[in-house]
This record gives sequence, structure tokens and C-alpha cells, in this order.
Amino acid sequence: MSAPARSQLEELGLSATCAEVLHHLWDYLDDQITPAGAERLRAHIAACKQCQQYEDYQECFLRAVSGLRQELGAPESLRERLAERLKGQGCSCWNKVRRGP
Amino acid sequence: MTTATMVMSRSPDHLVEEPDVTADAGPEARSASDVARDAAFEREALPWLDDVYRFALSLTREESDADDVVQETFLRAYRSWHTFIPGTDCRRWLFTICRNVFLRSRERQRPTVDLEDGEQDAVAASSVYSAARERGYDDIFARLDLAPALQEALDELAEPFRSAVILVDVEDMSYESAAEVMGVPIGTVRSRLFRGRRLLQEKLVTVAEDLGFQGAGAR
Repeated sequence: MSAPARSQLEELGLSATCAEVLHHLWDYLDDQITPAGAERLRAHIAACKQCQQYEDYQECFLRAVSGLRQELGAPESLRERLAERLKGQGCSCWNKVRRGP
Repeated sequence: MTTATMVMSRSPDHLVEEPDVTADAGPEARSASDVARDAAFEREALPWLDDVYRFALSLTREESDADDVVQETFLRAYRSWHTFIPGTDCRRWLFTICRNVFLRSRERQRPTVDLEDGEQDAVAASSVYSAARERGYDDIFARLDLAPALQEALDELAEPFRSAVILVDVEDMSYESAAEVMGVPIGTVRSRLFRGRRLLQEKLVTVAEDLGFQGAGAR
């Protein structure tokens, strides 16, 4: 761990195990760490109220970001233009770009 | 003009992007190849038009720019269809082209950013949380509809952090897929993603303060 990172954690008054959660919670929530590492974090979080609250906070944040995904469709005007340009390229499926009735 | 002269007169891009049609293939053989290519393009690529449009719009933030990027993306995809590997993730392939088209269109506007490593941002994010907690804001994501502010913060986020957040958190791509789309190592996606998340959280705490949000239990 780098000196500035260690210093920040000391300021927050956190233990080394809590520090591991802080460092790797996003990796954990993103399913990017080994099963053994994930199990270790899971066990610690289950037993540590502070880390549980931090996990809740980050999970809520990631859900909020994920919720920004809109089911936007490509506008009809874009489909028309793209269909014409694909037709110009000799693409036989150009008409499939348009939405069906 | 000889065949050799004709080939040499083509631009490198043309040589790269044109389907591989052998010189001695007859009209019937070429037609069969084209039919197969078009069928594959229709089946694999066209269903992702809405997704590519949504991604382009999140990058450009302007509908007219997104239209141009999407058209260019699909035209390039069609011309370069021979480089798509059947059985691989066509959505990821199209997103890669889309982002490259976008970046090329903005080449002169690309900001130069100083990248911190992922660890620094992960720890810095905990400091943001700590500050939010002191103000009783640790449940703001659950209690306050921050979607408009979050969207605005995401729109204002600098590249390449915005792309990392959009690909992984909004479009639900794996780090590996996002790395391929962005053309960077997985570790770079991670550090950009973490920086992007941390910046978004800082922005949202500021928004909550500006709104006069009263936390459940200010400490």
C-alpha cells in the first residue's frame, strides 16, 4: 500500500481488514477478484457494521448509475439515412434497417 | 490498366476495408459471397443498432453527432465485415468501431488527463463516503432521486473516464470487453472506472448539499 493511501486510512481510523474492503470493494462488487479473495471480503463485511454500510452505499451508487441506461431506440430518421447509405454500398439487407410495420 | 496497377492505385484503407474478393472469382462466386456476408451482417450486426445509437449518444451528447457516428460505424462495419470473427461478441465489436469513430471525430478536442492509479481512487472514494456520512448523506442514493444530477455529472465527466463508466456501469460490460472497446489494458479500464466513479460521487455530494438535502442522521 502506498504511503499516501496508508495515511488516508489512518485518518479514517480504519483497521487493516477494513482497509482491504475499501481498496477492493469495487473489484468485489464488479466480480473481479478471486473466489478466495471474495469469500474473505464477504466474511469480513458480514461481521463488520461499518463495512456493511459502506457496501450498501456503494451498491446503491452503482444501481443508480446502472439505472441511467435508457431503452432508447435509434430514431426513424437515422434508420432511413443509414438504409440509404447501406443501399449505396450494395448491401442487400439495407431495407432491414428500417423498422417493420 | 493491368490488375497490378489497379491494386496499387487503391488507398490502404480501401485495401483493408473491402471484402476479400479474389481476382479470379467469377460473378456467381462473388455474388454468393456477398449474399452470405449480407445475411451475416443482417443477423449479427443490425440487431445492435439501438444499442450502438445509445452508446454513441452517451459519447457525443448531441443527437445529430450521434447520428453521424452511428452511420459511420455501420458503414465501416459493413465494409470491414470480413474482419469480424464469427462467434465473437458483435456488440462489443460495433462499440469498438463506434468509439474509434467518435474519438477520431474529436481528435483535436481530446483532453489530456493525468491518470491516478486505481488504489488512490478507491481510497479517495472512501474519503468522499466519510465526508458524506458526516453530513448524514450516506443514504442519499437510496433516499433521493439523483438520476437527473447523476446524468448531468456523467455528461460532464471527462474522457476517458466517461467511456469507462458508461461501458461497465451503464452498459454492463465486463472489464475485459470494455478494455477491448477502449483499446487499453484491463488495469487501465479499472483505474479509469474508479476515477470516474469517485468523481461522480464527489459531484453528487455537492449536488445534495446544494439541494439542502437533510440526511437521516447527520453526525
